[in-house]
Amino acid sequence: MNPINTLEALIDRPETITGPERPAGLGRAGLLGYFSGTLGLFMFLRMQGAVPPGVFSFLSAYLFVLAANFFFAGVIHLFMDLTCAAPSGANGRGRAARLFLAFGCTDYLLALLVPLGFLSGVKVLNGFLWFGLCFLAVIYARVRLIRRLYTVSVNKALLSVWLPYGGIFLLFFAGLVYGMIWLFWLIM
Amino acid sequence: MEEQNNSVPVNPAAQPAPAPAQVPAPPAAPGGTGFWLKVVAALYAVSLIAAFSLITKADAAKKAGSKDLKMSKLSSSLRQSKKSAVGVVEIYGAISQGSSSRSWDRGSQQISKRIRSLSADKDVKAIVLDINTPGGSVGSVQEIYSAIKRAKAETKKPFVARFGEVSASGGYYVASACDLVVAHPGTITGSIGVIFSVTNLEGLLKKVGVRSEAIKSGKFKDIGSPMREMTTEEHKLLQGMIDDSYEQFVAAVAEGRKMTVEKTKALADGRIYTGRQALDLGLVDKLGDLQEALDAAGELGGIGKNPRVVRESAPFEQLMSLVDSRLQLLGTKAVADALETGPSLEYRWYGR
Repeated sequence: MNPINTLEALIDRPETITGPERPAGLGRAGLLGYFSGTLGLFMFLRMQGAVPPGVFSFLSAYLFVLAANFFFAGVIHLFMDLTCAAPSGANGRGRAARLFLAFGCTDYLLALLVPLGFLSGVKVLNGFLWFGLCFLAVIYARVRLIRRLYTVSVNKALLSVWLPYGGIFLLFFAGLVYGMIWLFWLIM
Repeated sequence: MEEQNNSVPVNPAAQPAPAPAQVPAPPAAPGGTGFWLKVVAALYAVSLIAAFSLITKADAAKKAGSKDLKMSKLSSSLRQSKKSAVGVVEIYGAISQGSSSRSWDRGSQQISKRIRSLSADKDVKAIVLDINTPGGSVGSVQEIYSAIKRAKAETKKPFVARFGEVSASGGYYVASACDLVVAHPGTITGSIGVIFSVTNLEGLLKKVGVRSEAIKSGKFKDIGSPMREMTTEEHKLLQGMIDDSYEQFVAAVAEGRKMTVEKTKALADGRIYTGRQALDLGLVDKLGDLQEALDAAGELGGIGKNPRVVRESAPFEQLMSLVDSRLQLLGTKAVADALETGPSLEYRWYGR
């Protein structure tokens, strides 16, 4: 199935994502979503001169995005499972994989960063602001998606989307504090 | 996990919602979602192509620019090897021995180590000593001085001293070992001499009822004690030490500046000079800033003006030095300095 047709089906009939079977072409559409989203983000950052050029640079970014989203989908599904949030529709088996691929479809929104990069180039709003807006749009789409896949409130869906980011930030912060304490111990 | 979920009783609110009935797909209306998705995809492709060509052009322009820069660099100094550089060693603040366990300290040990390491580096063709110090203890100043002399004898690399705000007494002693001395017109320099100061706390201690007694093996064992007044004999003995250290200082300056001892002694009564006065008296070779000193070092080292600069300091040591200096703001260093009442023989100017 053509990824455009898959997307069209998901937009027009979002209930198909909660069906017993994975919607046809979701895998291809999801991975393509990650690809075009990362490419959009990469081109945007290249226009700002913030990332090194080259295919390897893009591929490493793409692999990082895939790995991070795979981890995020896993953590969100685990969180839903631990808090007894029931999956909508059929049983929850394979729901994490479906979540991961559906997240890929939300990443199409990052493709908007390419034209927005031109706008920031001609000084229509700051580049960081455009990126922030796109990021919020992706978060909004993911919250809507989670509410489709699991019968949860908006707050819980929001919490689950931010949870992995919070976890990473917490780990980083704990490492930083430990590093500072270690430095003080070293010089005292 | 799924089985566990099924085994626990769930409240009705959390019951799985009934699967929505699979309704047949409505026929796609012309100009519907599919059409707009195709339009967006086409616009995305166009913007990608535009962005790609823009980035390629920008990269090509950048590359061409850097190539031009390289060519101009090459033509300006054909002799200059790409790696050749001038090393810079900073000598800031009062010079003291420093703690050997704190590699980031700016003591004489660490400064000598940096001089040795830079002179051993084959890419470093000349060394600039960036001096901004009122001097320090005789031993530590002489440690740096001998490190410079040894490095010069072993490697024949030229040394240039650059004076900052103040480079007096011990700072000048160190500079006298260099081949060229560059100072600002307003730099405070000179103060060639030795000082040994003792604080007599006897009167104060008597007021608070403290009496100190020393049991000694010889009559000079507690020489320089702040607990009592100095005797004439002790004074004579210390004057002898001072005179000897002074002779060493004068000899070093006379040798370094290629002056006679008599002429040096005439300048070495402890007075301070501005950079311009020092230039007139032959204590300084040139007036200028750090860049002038670097250029001069580059030319002496045979790598031309505007050389690449290497500062011999590991990133970890820089970080520790920064953290240490921040901690000193808490007052620990000030308290330690205040408690340091012991006398010492110093090549130091106390006007600062």
